[in-house]
Amino acid sequence: MAIATVNEMSVYIHIPFCKSICTYCDFCKVLYNKEWVVAYLKKLKDEITDRYMGENIKTIYIGGGTPSSLSLKELEYLLNLTNMFHKENLQEFTFECNIEDINTEMLDILVKYGVNRLSIGIESFNEENLILMKRNCSYKDTLEKLNLIRSKGINNINLDLIYALPGETLKILKQDLKLFLKLPIDHISTYSLMILDNTFLGYKRIESSPEDIDAKMYDYICKKLKKAGFIHYEVSNFAKKGFESKHNLVYWHNLEYYGFGCGASGYIAGVRYDNTRSLSNYLKGEFKSSDELVSKERMMEYELILGLRKMAGINLQDFFQKYHVNMQNVFPIKPLLKSGELIIQDGNLKISPDKIYVMNEILLKLV
Amino acid sequence: MQEKNIRNFSIIAHIDHGKSTLADRILELTGAVSKREMKEQLLDSMDIERERGITIKLNTVKLKYQYQNKEYILNLIDTPGHVDFSYEVSRSLAACEGAILIVDAAQGIEAQTLANLYLAMAQDLKIIPVINKIDLPNADIPKVTKELHDILGFKEEEIILCSGKTGEGVKELLDAIVERIPAPQVNLDKPTRALIYDSYFDSYKGVVLLIKVVDGKIKIKDKIKMLATNKVFEVTELGVKTPKEELLNTLESGEVGFLAGAIKDISSVHVGDTITVLDNPATEPLAGYAKMKPMVYSGIYPVEASKYDLLKEALNKLKLNDASLTFESVTSEALGFGFHTGFLGLLHSEIITTRLEREFNLDIVVTSPTVVYNAYLTDGSMVVVDNPSKMPDREKILKIEEPFIYTNIIAPASYVGSIMELCQNKRGLYKTIDYINDTRVNIHYEIPLSEVVYDFYDKLKSRTNGYASFDYELIGYKESDLVKMDILLNGEKVDALSLIIHKDFAYNKGKYITEKLKKVIPRQMFQVSIQAAIGSKIIARENISAMRKNVLAKCYGGDITRKRKLLEAQKEGKKRMKMVGRVEVPAEAFLSILGSDE
Repeated sequence: MAIATVNEMSVYIHIPFCKSICTYCDFCKVLYNKEWVVAYLKKLKDEITDRYMGENIKTIYIGGGTPSSLSLKELEYLLNLTNMFHKENLQEFTFECNIEDINTEMLDILVKYGVNRLSIGIESFNEENLILMKRNCSYKDTLEKLNLIRSKGINNINLDLIYALPGETLKILKQDLKLFLKLPIDHISTYSLMILDNTFLGYKRIESSPEDIDAKMYDYICKKLKKAGFIHYEVSNFAKKGFESKHNLVYWHNLEYYGFGCGASGYIAGVRYDNTRSLSNYLKGEFKSSDELVSKERMMEYELILGLRKMAGINLQDFFQKYHVNMQNVFPIKPLLKSGELIIQDGNLKISPDKIYVMNEILLKLV
Repeated sequence: MQEKNIRNFSIIAHIDHGKSTLADRILELTGAVSKREMKEQLLDSMDIERERGITIKLNTVKLKYQYQNKEYILNLIDTPGHVDFSYEVSRSLAACEGAILIVDAAQGIEAQTLANLYLAMAQDLKIIPVINKIDLPNADIPKVTKELHDILGFKEEEIILCSGKTGEGVKELLDAIVERIPAPQVNLDKPTRALIYDSYFDSYKGVVLLIKVVDGKIKIKDKIKMLATNKVFEVTELGVKTPKEELLNTLESGEVGFLAGAIKDISSVHVGDTITVLDNPATEPLAGYAKMKPMVYSGIYPVEASKYDLLKEALNKLKLNDASLTFESVTSEALGFGFHTGFLGLLHSEIITTRLEREFNLDIVVTSPTVVYNAYLTDGSMVVVDNPSKMPDREKILKIEEPFIYTNIIAPASYVGSIMELCQNKRGLYKTIDYINDTRVNIHYEIPLSEVVYDFYDKLKSRTNGYASFDYELIGYKESDLVKMDILLNGEKVDALSLIIHKDFAYNKGKYITEKLKKVIPRQMFQVSIQAAIGSKIIARENISAMRKNVLAKCYGGDITRKRKLLEAQKEGKKRMKMVGRVEVPAEAFLSILGSDE
């Protein structure tokens, strides 16, 4: 595990615009509006100018919202902002997009600015699931677009998959997964549908899928992806060897990162901060909404709750080097090793793989 | 002060017959509070009293009233209306010479009207019958007048018609108080004796006593002695409530008021005790009043073991102005150290537990209430069982007796069938029905107390659309075919969930409890079995499947602080759970043996 060094950082940039709003989404987003986008990108430039301290940037992630909802001109402006960073050692540059937005011109711009990884929200190919989520995509179109992406030299592709939608059966999931695995992809992020307040489904008081079905689907996904050659490296993330998301691992390694844009969060110089979720405040230049100075104890707590999300767990030696204290002396680990809920393997402390889906219960005994 | 110008009185009524509203009007008319200061139901000072519209604690106010150009002091001593609190009623009545009996003009006589009236008559109080709420469109004054005459023997001309809402008749009532209620007997020359009829704890003044001076007088700086505990204190403060506090230098024979004396030790004060003055002490205590025995018992345990001492302190403070509350320390295998607590009834228990939670900010586990059983053993001895875990083994028991009550259920005659059915379901033995008039009856049953402590009153209300009223008296012990039922979690008996039940009801109850626990206990990391057993025989079983999911699926840059806060919230939730073996059980589960699927 790499230890944070001051001159190597990661960057997240949030683009809060979408062409249509999915029924389950509680992220920071608004419907695309040209005037706002132009103003927004200008403010984004201001925020980067204000905050960026000149470190080498090793990963960039542009997420949303839907970053691919921007016009080509706006997109070029946005990507041009990333030239403000020292990108000499850039290892991974991810751009989130919707499959229907992808075309040759757009890909050419992405490649020009160094984007080398695409994360695409497919979620499902099942018609009923798509209607419920108010999304749209076909297997055939997806396959064509993925081939186009690869032909442009972007060979690191993630697809998102959502399961356990209300009424979804294991049979539907199996069909979905079968189609996903026929596609030329390297990474899958998969989430059971959470019905949150302040979403369309939340307002409609739609009930979540029962716990037992949800867990059964998760088990199936883990088993099936493993068989297909994917490594289960985080609670919800699976990758072909070498294709683990370097940017997301920054979060789970508890390392620092910049967050730019409306609704973004960051962790800089020992402070975790949240930007405003209000677009109008952001456009007025009021970027930050709250921050938390992280004490050493809190930092170790974050290390624990984030690190145990990784199937490989937390390297005990690294923990000692970072905090100068043995992890066993900070958290009551012993009884959980005894009960088999935690295990130590190759110098790493991790959650027993069969308990990963109830990991909060284990964390509650530790913090 | 001229003693004959004092009148000490209470107001007694069935719940909801408008006692507190009428008291408010009296306060207004005597100028004790101005309209501007008027808060609805001024006498009910506890939040819980205003919320539930009931009076629990006594309050006393001193009022001034001009009658025929003379000033009179009227001491209004408030009383609770609920059946659980008849003990409190008798305490307040002990400080009075008269009582106003309120009957609702639309409802007529109800069960607690009778119960409270009998208490007042037992103390030889002068009763002023009042028909209240005469402004109601459905008021039936002739009918209620006839009831008061036929059932209670009042003369028509004695009855005062009144409306707490409009104030009509309130002046006539105040005149009647002066005219009819005798002044307290004044014995200024005798050695001082004062009755403690209530007390409460004030963090600045210490224990504050509410007293009625019967003989002699008490002055500031007097050394006083408690006759029962022999403890001596110096009087630092005397006064009355008007309802604001008004400080005085003396309280004399015939007067009521409060007394403070830097009394820090709660145990040195017993409500019902007599105070005398050390200079010229009396030796004979005043006649107290029958101490009420607790009718039901529950275990109260702190969720966190370290809060045991705080819980003890809180119970001591509550006991100070609630002499009917009893408690002793107890250990449960499942729940650790706690208190075996005696209550007058279920409402009383609810109020105490709510006050512990709200006023003392304690997280507590309350076990289901149980009555006191007598178990007669084959060796000729008898065991008092006030906690199911004390029940001896079945093979040693010759017979078990349980307390029975005799009911007054007053209701419209059209509900007789439904009420009788309810009473039969509760193992009631039919005795008789009295006709109050053509349309209303008083139904008498003998019912085991254990069957009425929980939901009998609620069921009665729902079966009669709220028209029935209920009161009871304890008539003694009778033999019943009872068994002890245990509840097991993952094969381990949970002593705090054991209960004693009639054999014929055991199967249904076992099924009900296991199903209910399945709903109340959250999933754990492992499967949990819930069993109901009589002796070694399992009569019902449910399983709670192991937890399958508790994870935040998405955790990226923006979710991290939220994730930590979510865990904090979950941890807070767990704090309210009690570990029983390896199983986390929420506090409310321990009350789940209440109720039935009827």
